[in-house]
Amino acid sequence: MEDKRREVRHIVRNVKSLPTIPGIMAKLNSIAEDEKATVNEIARLISSDQILSAKVLKLVNSPFYGFSRRVSTISNALILLGVNVVKSLILSSSIFELMEKNVVGLWEHSMGAGVAANVIARRLNLPEPEEISTAALIHDIGKVIIKIELKEEFGNLISLIKEKDMSMREAERELLDTDHAEIGDWLAKSWLLPEKLIEPIAFHHDVEKSLTQPTKTSAVHLADILVKASGFGFSGDDFVPKIHPAAWAKLGLTEELLEGIVGEVEEKLVEVKNFSIEVQSTDDTQA
Amino acid sequence: MQNIPFTLAISGMVLAKDVARTDNPGGPPVCGKGLILTDQMIDRLKNMGIQSITVEGHPIRMDGDNSLEEMLAGLDRRFKKAEGDPLTMKLKMIHKKQIIKSMGD
Repeated sequence: MEDKRREVRHIVRNVKSLPTIPGIMAKLNSIAEDEKATVNEIARLISSDQILSAKVLKLVNSPFYGFSRRVSTISNALILLGVNVVKSLILSSSIFELMEKNVVGLWEHSMGAGVAANVIARRLNLPEPEEISTAALIHDIGKVIIKIELKEEFGNLISLIKEKDMSMREAERELLDTDHAEIGDWLAKSWLLPEKLIEPIAFHHDVEKSLTQPTKTSAVHLADILVKASGFGFSGDDFVPKIHPAAWAKLGLTEELLEGIVGEVEEKLVEVKNFSIEVQSTDDTQA
Repeated sequence: MQNIPFTLAISGMVLAKDVARTDNPGGPPVCGKGLILTDQMIDRLKNMGIQSITVEGHPIRMDGDNSLEEMLAGLDRRFKKAEGDPLTMKLKMIHKKQIIKSMGD
């Protein structure tokens, strides 16, 4: 079984062939590390790739950040979200686009989790809400890799989930000796994403293992659960995972707070559905 | 009442909540609660970029919410693997209450 895990890890290490790391990233990394670099310089670099800029702006304007006004320029996006979040969006925009076209259910689940995380962060006054939304948006990237890079295994996983009434994660553990959270962790590390985003991806099912980012991980854990509880989107199975007591404690949740969060998330999910219908119908027209 | 994507709005639906501008959600409503939607009004709201509205009753049958019984059965199925877990059951109860409320008035 260990061999299977090693094989999957090897595949993840070599996913550089996927359109996930645009050439612009190397330049962006060097310029973003330069403390003297201004927002305008960074914005100019990103804007030089128009397709990439459009993809990033599409994500920035999707309902999960909840900006009341349209963000129409990369420099505004940088000011509103910070360089790190925009960098993460650049990295995830291509894979997100693959998801939008190939795995609509997972795309909706991810968008929904981004929205839910935003509501959680705001209502509980958590620091860095945009980073929490972004982490929630990409928390299941491991599943995209399985679907795209491990096609045969993906088919077997789906059969196993149906046959044995398993959750996606249980089936992944049985067949691959790893799971989407660990695969997401490998990918996020190879992309050099910040720890703030890596831990929520890696530990959204095992909150207690998140040592440096427990609040963000707890928020993403809850966001994932809330979207599944609503039956919104499809992330591989229908089952609501258990709320981890460590996440409940870390977020200082009460039943009243949770009820308020759930009510707002339900309303926002309608907007996500609307956005999804719009995006899918635009794609149909363009196809 | 039911919150629906605006793309599904049709004339005759009755607003159950005020509609605010998307670029000024805290500002004065553009349409008030109790108003009956007309085609003209739908076009106007569409041009304003309204994303969703809350209407009286439960006029739209979304995926899987055909009836109260089916919605509750779906909820039971989704929470199957967390049965008996005290924190997750609190979440289930919140959803159950909301489903019953949304279908009841």
